[in-house]
Amino acid sequence: MIPNTDSALRMLSQRLMTQLLPDLKSEYSQSDGMLLGMLMMAIADEVATGIDTRMKDIADMKALLEQGRDYHDAGLLTVAEPASLSLKDVNQLHDDLTRHLIELHARVEIADSSEASQMLGDIWHYLEASTGRHAIAAMG
Amino acid sequence: MTITLDEVATKTSAYLAAKWKCQVDVTNITKIFGGASRETYRLEVAVDGQSRGLILRRDPPTSLIDTERKLEYGAYAAIYPTDIPVPEPLFLENDTSILQQPFSIMAAVDDAVTDVSTLNEAQKRLIGREKWQLLGTLAMKDPVELGFDRFMEIPELDQCAARELAYWEKIIMEDEIHPQPIAHAAIRWLKNNLPQQAQKLSVVHGDYRSGNFLFDPDDGIRAVLDWEMCHLGDPFEDLAWSLDPLWSWAEPENAGGLLPPDEAISIWEESSGLTVDPEVFKWWQVFASVKGLAIWISSSEDFQNGEGKDSILAMAGWLMTDRQNQILLNYLSPHAGGQWKGGLA
Repeated sequence: MIPNTDSALRMLSQRLMTQLLPDLKSEYSQSDGMLLGMLMMAIADEVATGIDTRMKDIADMKALLEQGRDYHDAGLLTVAEPASLSLKDVNQLHDDLTRHLIELHARVEIADSSEASQMLGDIWHYLEASTGRHAIAAMG
Repeated sequence: MTITLDEVATKTSAYLAAKWKCQVDVTNITKIFGGASRETYRLEVAVDGQSRGLILRRDPPTSLIDTERKLEYGAYAAIYPTDIPVPEPLFLENDTSILQQPFSIMAAVDDAVTDVSTLNEAQKRLIGREKWQLLGTLAMKDPVELGFDRFMEIPELDQCAARELAYWEKIIMEDEIHPQPIAHAAIRWLKNNLPQQAQKLSVVHGDYRSGNFLFDPDDGIRAVLDWEMCHLGDPFEDLAWSLDPLWSWAEPENAGGLLPPDEAISIWEESSGLTVDPEVFKWWQVFASVKGLAIWISSSEDFQNGEGKDSILAMAGWLMTDRQNQILLNYLSPHAGGQWKGGLA
């Protein structure tokens, strides 16, 4: 067992890029390998923080959907939890909530009230925060 | 279906020998990295004792851009006789018995590069000026006079924007693996703010950006490449795409890593004789990012579900989607303060 999988992946990626790739004869393979190494670095970040990032999104989206219930009813999803903390199950809930958020966003855009205007600002705040959380530092 | 370099070399030799009715030997072959829409090979061939460089582009099982090779080849053939430099198109082959997939062959452009990141300031100005002059020249041309109407659909002037939006929206809706809230918001904005009509109908290259032309750093642009997304439409589409902040991520003050956006627009206006209306152009800037997102989302889908597991598909689908979302937030979020980075206040 390797407890710190993200660190292990970063080390393997570095080994690929600094020790193995220079020995490849084909320029194509070197470029392809370099890209693979960079992707491994990004995947290492996902291994380390991917679930946490998605769970923060999930909490924010549930709050927004609860707040916007007058414009769009997401039903019991506002209190739902992922079936497990596996990436697959967390992604599933994240996707379900995102579909409802898209619907809520479209509805508050055309609603004419100060409350809707506030909601709209809050949704954009969430989109900014979420995009920032998911930014790929390893390839930045 | 994979194919080895040796197979490509052997079968291409035989193909060219039959076409040119003489002995053809491939003396060197390399696969070029980064051909995201086609597999790209560079070949050196000996033809009757003369050495010649060729570029072979072979359809992969999946690609970043699902395009019609006939349209792309037709664009090269129509542009080649003009003052827009492109590689000489030689053969388009749809018979899959030769290289398993359709392919095209073009003359190689020697002693030229595509990477603008190593240019000094004087070289950036030279290449940048020429880049937007050429784009203006392309915008000015009459597509019908060039014969594009023989193989491409001609849209009505008031349908150019709506047609392109519908095309890329469909790709996003069909290919998104995860729902994309920023893309959906941007599409709604685009539908609510459609421009009235194009100033003129132009040949739209479709992917006019740094990296898609070959140049000599001290002598200018030698060939505009990658016409696979070419179509007829509003010339603002190419201009907005060329200025998208994605192409100048490391150097945001210079569009495409070459010139300040305002200067690029002025050069384009002078060359095309057209005027950039800031309000209309905003639409095309947002559209450019949505089109980008569609391509990156599509590449994710190809990587996830398609036959090809090319690393560039994964990279585009991940990193580019991330960055393009940040650009759209900057365009559309009320908290961005309406900052229109890309040359227009």
